[in-house]
Amino acid sequence: MSLAAKKNASGPATGNKSSFFRTLGRQWQLMLMSVPILLYVLLFNYFPMWGWSNAFMDYTNMKNVAKGITPYIGLANFEWLFSRPDFFQAIRNTLAMSVINLVFGTVSSIVLAVLLNEVRNRGFKRTVQTVTYLPHFLSMVIVVSMAQNIFASNGPVNALLMNLGLTKDPIFWLGEGKYFWWLVGVINVWKEVGWNTIIYISAMTAIDPCLYEAAQIDGAGRFNRILHVTLPGIRSTFVILLIMNIGHLLEAGFEIQYLLGSGLTMDWSRTIDIFVLQYGTEKLNIGVATAAGMFKSVVAIVLLLGANFLANRLGEDTLI
Amino acid sequence: MKKLIASVLVLAMLVSVVSLLPFAATADELEPITLTVFRGDPGDQPAEDNKIYKLIEEKFGVKFQFEFLAGNLDETLGLKIFGQDYPDLFDGGNSADLIISGGALVNLLDYISPEKTPRLWAHIEPQKARLIEKDENGNDVLYIIPNYGLTDGDQIVNEVNGPAFFIQKQVLAWAGYPQIHTLNEYFDLIERFIAENPTDKNGTPYIGFDILCEDWRHFCLINPVQHLMGRPNDGEVLIDVSTNDFHTETFIDKPYAKAYYKKLNEEFQKGLISRDTFVMNYDQYIAQLSSGTVLGMFDQTWDFGNATAALKDAGMDENTYVALGLVYDPEYVDGKVIEEHYVNGTVPNVRRGFGISVTSPYAERIVAMWEEMLSNEWQLLFNWGIEGEDYYVENGRLLMTEEQYNNRNDNTWKLQNRALAFWESSPKKQGWIMDGPYAGNAWDPANQPEIVLGLMNAYDQDFLSHYGFSKFADFVNPPIELAPYGEAWQIDYTPVDVEHTDFLNIQDQRLPELIMCAPEEFDAKWDAFVEEITPSATAFGDYMQKAVLEEAAKVLGNE
Repeated sequence: MSLAAKKNASGPATGNKSSFFRTLGRQWQLMLMSVPILLYVLLFNYFPMWGWSNAFMDYTNMKNVAKGITPYIGLANFEWLFSRPDFFQAIRNTLAMSVINLVFGTVSSIVLAVLLNEVRNRGFKRTVQTVTYLPHFLSMVIVVSMAQNIFASNGPVNALLMNLGLTKDPIFWLGEGKYFWWLVGVINVWKEVGWNTIIYISAMTAIDPCLYEAAQIDGAGRFNRILHVTLPGIRSTFVILLIMNIGHLLEAGFEIQYLLGSGLTMDWSRTIDIFVLQYGTEKLNIGVATAAGMFKSVVAIVLLLGANFLANRLGEDTLI
Repeated sequence: MKKLIASVLVLAMLVSVVSLLPFAATADELEPITLTVFRGDPGDQPAEDNKIYKLIEEKFGVKFQFEFLAGNLDETLGLKIFGQDYPDLFDGGNSADLIISGGALVNLLDYISPEKTPRLWAHIEPQKARLIEKDENGNDVLYIIPNYGLTDGDQIVNEVNGPAFFIQKQVLAWAGYPQIHTLNEYFDLIERFIAENPTDKNGTPYIGFDILCEDWRHFCLINPVQHLMGRPNDGEVLIDVSTNDFHTETFIDKPYAKAYYKKLNEEFQKGLISRDTFVMNYDQYIAQLSSGTVLGMFDQTWDFGNATAALKDAGMDENTYVALGLVYDPEYVDGKVIEEHYVNGTVPNVRRGFGISVTSPYAERIVAMWEEMLSNEWQLLFNWGIEGEDYYVENGRLLMTEEQYNNRNDNTWKLQNRALAFWESSPKKQGWIMDGPYAGNAWDPANQPEIVLGLMNAYDQDFLSHYGFSKFADFVNPPIELAPYGEAWQIDYTPVDVEHTDFLNIQDQRLPELIMCAPEEFDAKWDAFVEEITPSATAFGDYMQKAVLEEAAKVLGNE
């Protein structure tokens, strides 16, 4: 028995290469099926990277651009970007809003998922789920418009706060920069909490009911069952999502800040994407726009690998 | 062998069909074609059975396939330029400079001449000094025949269509129909009105003065100073036309601008201006105006047309607006008395309208079609419609029934019965009909004196009678002669794009802060603002000075 096993194991060692092709040959159907995906990734993820060369070109003279003349200018586009203090301000805003979104979004959706998981009345559970994920399908334009009315000086939020005596004068939610990041966080939670819950709920349904029963027999109350069964059960899902979201930290979004921001809150609302729109895309300065995009991609890769490495070190499931 | 013969036969058939094609194409000169059309603004597809397009198809063998702007204009144009993906008729909207500098349009002068196209030539001839440009090799070029502003006869000004300070009619009526000419008079009147009538009849508090700041509509915030100084709209610069060099400067960083924003700061402290005005979006602004609670604002008439229509629909005529041409009181400008000029001479809408793209094989056909369409018959069709259906004639006067006129505001009707998507961006006659049986009528029904008078409701007629005016444009001075450089907001500033963006961003950010700050901080904050904006303002101002001189030299030199 052990000898046979050893013989099997030594097989690949003697002819690694041929065995690789043998396996490949045996699984040709699987290989064939993965070809479209491979092509998709090559075509839409790797091929466009050729466009990165634009970051080193001069796109400011439209006449030349139309003729296909875009001279190489080295790192000038990057130099211009990093010479602008407002670009760093945009990085700060992007990161701040991303982190707020990540924390608010994750915490709120896990809490809601746990609460829903504890609900035994199916009708009620379904209703809550539907109602909470409906806003996901609303356009950001509509969501922001609603928020602008709700947070206006004479809007319901201020009316509530004043009736409760928490503030004497209405708070200028939309006009003061210091509230902006938090408003974005709150609006995002409202819009996405139900949607984000779905994946956690599905992770929870995969938890073996025996564990709950065992915990109950051991005398665990409802709260302890959540703490010691439900939460550990969704830990790997949480970690994978966290790693993926960390890769998107520089994508704090564009629509919400663009729509909700105004001159008054510009210092807090301008994200990298808005900066790129104003100084790059809108002026058709593809060079600057690409340079900023490249910068974002590089930071994203570093963050992603960093988070993956940390998760690995902590003994968690990882993405790569 | 059988196979081979079959293949040869198939091949032979293919060859013969292909070789026939060119003959088929040249056989008939008016072979039916479909022109692809891009419009640089959003719009609706015309109805399939639109009667005017049907006539065009019958007469010219031309069908249109429209693409309207969806999304950001500059980005859309950029994509078309990079992809060299041009429609036959290309309207770049407000960013036509991009497609021109991108080399997308043909030089129309290759197709237009006094001999070949007498009507088109006569159409552009009076303004050719403004229209014909020099390209980089010094050749005369014309890429776009303006969609608007090439008019015949005396300038028609029935109402102020552009920028002005607006005030609700009821405020003037309440005060006994006074004449309001200066900034202080204006705010003083609003203050007095609001002190006595804090809310409307539903109990909603009145808002004294609104300032829309959203996106490109921030002209409501940043443009008024030039008008208070007595100039029509030159965008973001103030130009002294009395000087030989058309002295051009950005005005926002000058002491005379400080006076306006200081005044707004005072009004803010008095509660006439709500802080919410700085964060509201366009829809909220229109909703607010439509509710009738906003007493005044600085804006341009076309910008709030929806609100005016809503107020009229609701029968709230006293809440609609009068355009006033305000200037600074002498105390703000060293005792100088400023003469008001809000209305400018007619401006050819330079570089706005259709151009023909370099990739279109139909340039000749399109120009020939425009030439034919500039005839009185076709212009009547486009402007007034079909006689008997859309208008009637009485003693040589073109007239419409109320229903016929109202149809023109009905979107569904328009898609069925007017060729606007094509015609709005095409060369067109405006002003007065100069020849033919209908000479002396207005090209645009909205300007026909009988119709203007007939449309005015009892409230407006009564309102004007208190002033002894016959039209609302009488509240402002008659138009002044257009300066040689045109209107400076039309000038292309692409070379200083970055500085200009900075220049606008700083204003968007600081001006609302200045208006809302504590009065004792105002002076210090203003100084900080001036310091912050000076670099970009100088770069933009210097560039504009050069550009204005160049534009003016073009016109003066050609004349």
